[in-house]
Amino acid sequence: MNAERTFPVFAAAFAIVYVIAEQWNFALMTYHPRINAWGLWAEAPRSGPAMYWYGWIGTALIGAVLVSLASLPFTKSRRLPAWIGWAVPLAVIVAFVYLLRAFFFR
Amino acid sequence: MFTVLLIVHGLCAVALLGAVTHQAFAVWWPARKGAGLVSSFRAVQAAKFRNGIIALFVITFVLGAIIYPAYRLTVRTYFETARLWNANGSFELKEQFAVLGLGMLPFYWLVWRQPLDEAFAGARRATTAILFFVVWFGFLVGHVLNNIRGLFGQ
Repeated sequence: MNAERTFPVFAAAFAIVYVIAEQWNFALMTYHPRINAWGLWAEAPRSGPAMYWYGWIGTALIGAVLVSLASLPFTKSRRLPAWIGWAVPLAVIVAFVYLLRAFFFR
Repeated sequence: MFTVLLIVHGLCAVALLGAVTHQAFAVWWPARKGAGLVSSFRAVQAAKFRNGIIALFVITFVLGAIIYPAYRLTVRTYFETARLWNANGSFELKEQFAVLGLGMLPFYWLVWRQPLDEAFAGARRATTAILFFVVWFGFLVGHVLNNIRGLFGQ
C-alpha cells in the first residue's frame, strides 16, 4: 500500500469537503469561547458566539481521509493526475472570494 | 498570555514568509548566477525548504487556532460594532485560505520530495505559488488587523 499516491486526492477532497462544511455548517464540533465549552456537531450558541471553524476542519479532515482511502484501489494501477492536488484547492480559494463577497460590498 | 502567543504566532509567520518566498522565487524565477543580492535570493536550493515550510505552517496555524477564540470574543466583536466589514471579511478569507493551505501540505510534501520527480514540475510550481499567496495574504491581513485592534485586544 502506497498512501502517498492518494495525496492529490486528499488535497482536492479536503478543499471540497471544507467548503461544503463551511457553507452548510456541517461542523464536527462547536466551541463556545465565552464559557470555554465544546459540543458535538453544530450547536446553537449557548452563551456568546459559537465557533464552528474547528468543527469544519474536523469534518474536512475525516472526509478527505475517507475519500483518500476509497481512492486507494485506483491508485495501485495508475498514477492520478497531479493537477487535482492544486487546481481544486485553487478553485475553492476563488470560490471563497465569491462566497464571502458580501463583506466587501456593504 | 494571549499577547505572548500572538507575538510568537507573528514571528513564526515571518519565518514562514521568508522560507516560502525564497522557495517560490527559486522555483518560478531560478537564478543562473548567484552574483547579486536578488540573484542570491533566488539561488537557494528550493527543495531544502520543504520540511521547514511544513513545520512552520503547522506551528503558525496551531498558534493561530489557539488565539482565535480571543479574537472572536474581543477583536471581531469590535469590528462588528465599528462596522468594519472589510476588516472582518479579510479575516474570514484568511482563516479559510489557511485551512486550504493546511490541507495541501501532504501534497506539497509529495511534490517536493527528493529526488525531485519531473512529472511533478508543474504541480511543484503551482503548489508553491498557492502557499506563497496563502502565507502572504494571511500575514498582511493579520498585520493590518493587528494594527487596528489585535495587540492587547483582551
